[in-house]
Amino acid sequence: MKPTLITTAIASLGLMANAAHAQTEITWWHGMGGHLGEVVNQIAEGFNESQDDYSLTPVFKGSYEETLTGAIAAFRAGEQPNIVQVFDAGAATVIGAQGAAVPVQDLLEANGHAFDIEDYIAGVRYFYADSDGKMIGMPFNSSSPVLYYNADALAEAGVEPPATYEEFAEIAPAILEAGYTPLVQTHLPWEFVENFHSRHNLPFATNDNGYDGAAGTEILINSPEMAMHFTKVKEWLDAGLFGFHGTSWDDNKAYFLDGSAAMYIGSSGDFGGLAAMDLPFEWASTYLPYWEEITREGYQTFIGGASLFAMSGHPAEEDAATAAFLEYLTSPEIQYMWHRETGYVPITNAAYEMAKEDGHYDRFPAAETGIKQLMLPAGENTAGYRMGFYVQIRDVENRELSRFLNGETSIEDALATIEAEGNALLARFAQTAIN
Amino acid sequence: MAELSHTILLPPEQARAARPVAPARRHRRPLRWGAVGNHAVLIAGALFMLAPLLMLVQMSTIPDAQIMRTGPSFEIGDRFWPNLEKALTESMSFSGETTGLNMFRNSMILGLGFALGKIVISMMAAYAIVYFRLRFATLAFWLIFTTLLLPLEVRIVPSYEITQKLGLLNSWTGLIVPLIASATATFFFRQFFMSVPEELLEAAKIDGAGPVKFFIDILVPLSRTMIAAMFIIMFVFGWNQYLWPVMVSTEEGKFTLVQGIKQITQGLEGGHIPEYGRSNILAILAVLPPVLVVVFFQRWFVKGLTESDK
Amino acid sequence: MKRAGFDNPWLPILLLLPQLSIICLFFYWPAWQALRSSFFLEDPFGFGETFVGLQNYTRLWDSPQYMKNAWFTLWFSFLVTFFSLAIALLLAVKADTVLRGARTYRTLLMWVYAVAPPVAGFIALILFNQRWGPLTEAFAQFGWLLRVRLEYFDTAFAMIVASVWKQVPVNFIFFLSGLQSIPRAVREAALIDNRSGISRFWTVTFPLLAPTGFFLLIINITYSLFDTFGMIDTILRNNPGDQPVTLVYQVYLDGFRGQDIGGSSAQSVVLMVLVLALTVFQFRLVERRIHYT
Repeated sequence: MKPTLITTAIASLGLMANAAHAQTEITWWHGMGGHLGEVVNQIAEGFNESQDDYSLTPVFKGSYEETLTGAIAAFRAGEQPNIVQVFDAGAATVIGAQGAAVPVQDLLEANGHAFDIEDYIAGVRYFYADSDGKMIGMPFNSSSPVLYYNADALAEAGVEPPATYEEFAEIAPAILEAGYTPLVQTHLPWEFVENFHSRHNLPFATNDNGYDGAAGTEILINSPEMAMHFTKVKEWLDAGLFGFHGTSWDDNKAYFLDGSAAMYIGSSGDFGGLAAMDLPFEWASTYLPYWEEITREGYQTFIGGASLFAMSGHPAEEDAATAAFLEYLTSPEIQYMWHRETGYVPITNAAYEMAKEDGHYDRFPAAETGIKQLMLPAGENTAGYRMGFYVQIRDVENRELSRFLNGETSIEDALATIEAEGNALLARFAQTAIN
Repeated sequence: MAELSHTILLPPEQARAARPVAPARRHRRPLRWGAVGNHAVLIAGALFMLAPLLMLVQMSTIPDAQIMRTGPSFEIGDRFWPNLEKALTESMSFSGETTGLNMFRNSMILGLGFALGKIVISMMAAYAIVYFRLRFATLAFWLIFTTLLLPLEVRIVPSYEITQKLGLLNSWTGLIVPLIASATATFFFRQFFMSVPEELLEAAKIDGAGPVKFFIDILVPLSRTMIAAMFIIMFVFGWNQYLWPVMVSTEEGKFTLVQGIKQITQGLEGGHIPEYGRSNILAILAVLPPVLVVVFFQRWFVKGLTESDK
Repeated sequence: MKRAGFDNPWLPILLLLPQLSIICLFFYWPAWQALRSSFFLEDPFGFGETFVGLQNYTRLWDSPQYMKNAWFTLWFSFLVTFFSLAIALLLAVKADTVLRGARTYRTLLMWVYAVAPPVAGFIALILFNQRWGPLTEAFAQFGWLLRVRLEYFDTAFAMIVASVWKQVPVNFIFFLSGLQSIPRAVREAALIDNRSGISRFWTVTFPLLAPTGFFLLIINITYSLFDTFGMIDTILRNNPGDQPVTLVYQVYLDGFRGQDIGGSSAQSVVLMVLVLALTVFQFRLVERRIHYT
């Protein structure tokens, strides 16, 4: 039942304070399963209890892709949810469709909530923003790739965790000697391609990494730096210094969990899960390595994960409810709770300060790695990237890079194929938007 | 009557032999070893079929953390009942409506509703095509049978839009009716009706039976086996739907088991300890009802399936 | 149509109405939209579209990846069909011969028919887990290191095993009932002529089962094209990488997951034409069978 304007007005005047008055109901479609879903539900319950005017219902819609496709189909049908969680690779689709989403910055300001993008952590704030720096989607479950290491294994090998790939190449034989696979990764495009560009402040696409618009944007993946990196990775793989177990996240991470891999590059958000698993060895995390031969100092990485978009086409009182929820979600208390429970980074400076004061990072030093990495020096190429049909481009990256690592193609051919197919997809995407 | 239809469906010499071969004759087999070999092959086949399910049961009895490290084994632990209780009564959603029991009920509604709807609609259509002199019968036939060409998976987005335009999202109608838009059952019933002897119709006409009376009093009873078989096939098909329910049902109170189990396996890909125990139980729950239906009604099922290919 | 049909003018229309209206609403309308979309590039939210003529089709032809998927689909269908027919035939012949426990065997061999495809994929994921999957371990005993979801070939193997597992029961049911309808006289004559079981099978039983086999051939090809969708989806978990993908799954990947409506619609149309050809072939086959028997 939708409340009429009158009932909402009466309710807000407090005339029905004692009666069970009609609340404005809003929905939030998300792709957070398992434990993450439970925390999402906690947040929603907290919001509903914190006030009487609005009622939020989160609905788990399956994978990120199913959530987004469901929301798009629903939008075409005029049945869209108020809030939808959109993953990093899908953001360009939503932002590219002018009018599908209300920029969260506009929404918050229009409903009387103060908004300052500087309140958000540096590596977080611009990924889902437009080229003018206006925030379109609210970063939600944000994480960055970091390096986790099995401290016992490194001690056994007598080495320290590496800060650069050069250092890694030096210590890796000793780790192998000690009986461990030195390193595995979990997501080739995110860790070895996208954030590789950010960490070294290299352009990833033309048109300011795609932020200036879809027309004419081209991917810049076929670079000597990429070729060098993957050539090295392949050498390590062949020498047993690196483990590759396919493009699935879990298939790779499992080798760290069972103690056979000494280090893995994973999401800073993995921290919460690792802590819950009670692993039989000491572990910690450090920054994502970079190549000293490309840059003397590593730059910040950007966020992965997903953001919340406020979909357009809802009555004003529902938008007000959405704004109220976003305000609640970004409050330091909730951000800290989310950070503590899941391992995702808090998105505001205030929440980070609160966690620090609370001694969270004294108890769990690994929890801070991701945030600190996001606050490293920024460059012109560290905000993120915006490319349409990026889901398919990621598929091409995964496909060609796996083929290279499996020895089926050369790195030159792999990168050239990604560039060619990627640019063809980008050109197609640009055509969808015209008219 | 059923005998009669059977005879018509099979070529004459096959029909005569359709009765089981007298077992007495088979008792004198020349080679005992041959029989042992036969059993060995069959037992191997049965194990090939059964082992994966037993593995799921085994995995649901041991702690999730252990499975994550070592996988399935021959060890039987004590987690089965707690996992079962969790799967049946605990919800993983905000609304608290996606418990195993609730999803079980929804799957039942989907399976039964789909099977019933499909059979009624298909029988009516097949009857019209076969038993009436209709100018556009051929056109209707092709209109209906072209639907065999394109499964729902590849036309799912436009189908969704249309379902919405009709205001049918989150309704049982919206969930079930679009799934009926495929002609498999109509095709089978048409083949079956064609095989019913013409004399029956002529006799009925002489007795003064109209089309409705003929359909209800003669044709439907005659089709009992066929209906039962179709019912089983369609129940299994409806129960096992995944992608369409995911699209159409966004209210958690309407989630089905197959939908739930797929979503849980997606939860396996995450930061925390994957819930193998609960997902395995849900997988077993999702499989059990259609399997039981097939096993208990296998006589009809087999007969319907094999006769429908003619 | 029956020769002595009823002449009622409005009743058949009434009878056909529910089916026809459902089909028009939920089949022809969406199919028409797919056909139309295949000539456009469309913003997923429906804000804009560009007419691109045949571009959505020509790029398929030009894409080595699409051609690779087409080849995979072809040999995947062939292998699934071949092995599920062969295993089912072997089991049916044996089940037809044994005296004891025939019913039990039949039940044990057919129940898998009812298993939902995603569940079959879920089971395959466990069986072929890279670290502790029972089948991975079993093959390792023979020196084959299976790395499913890493090696193209190994993943294809897992998909084929899971598909065969799920499809053997249907074929088994058909073959068994086909065998049981072989005339007693034929069996006895064969027994006298041919003492060897194997040559008896090839000279007598196999030819008699050929019509059933033909019919099953089509059923199995359709199965491996379309019904393996849920299984493949569960195995790849939305992450195709360089792993094998069937044409139907590619439609889903591009359209449902990648929001490329035009591109995936064109692929749907290609599939439609493919299945149309198959159906025509099937109808001609069925007609010939009726003619000969």
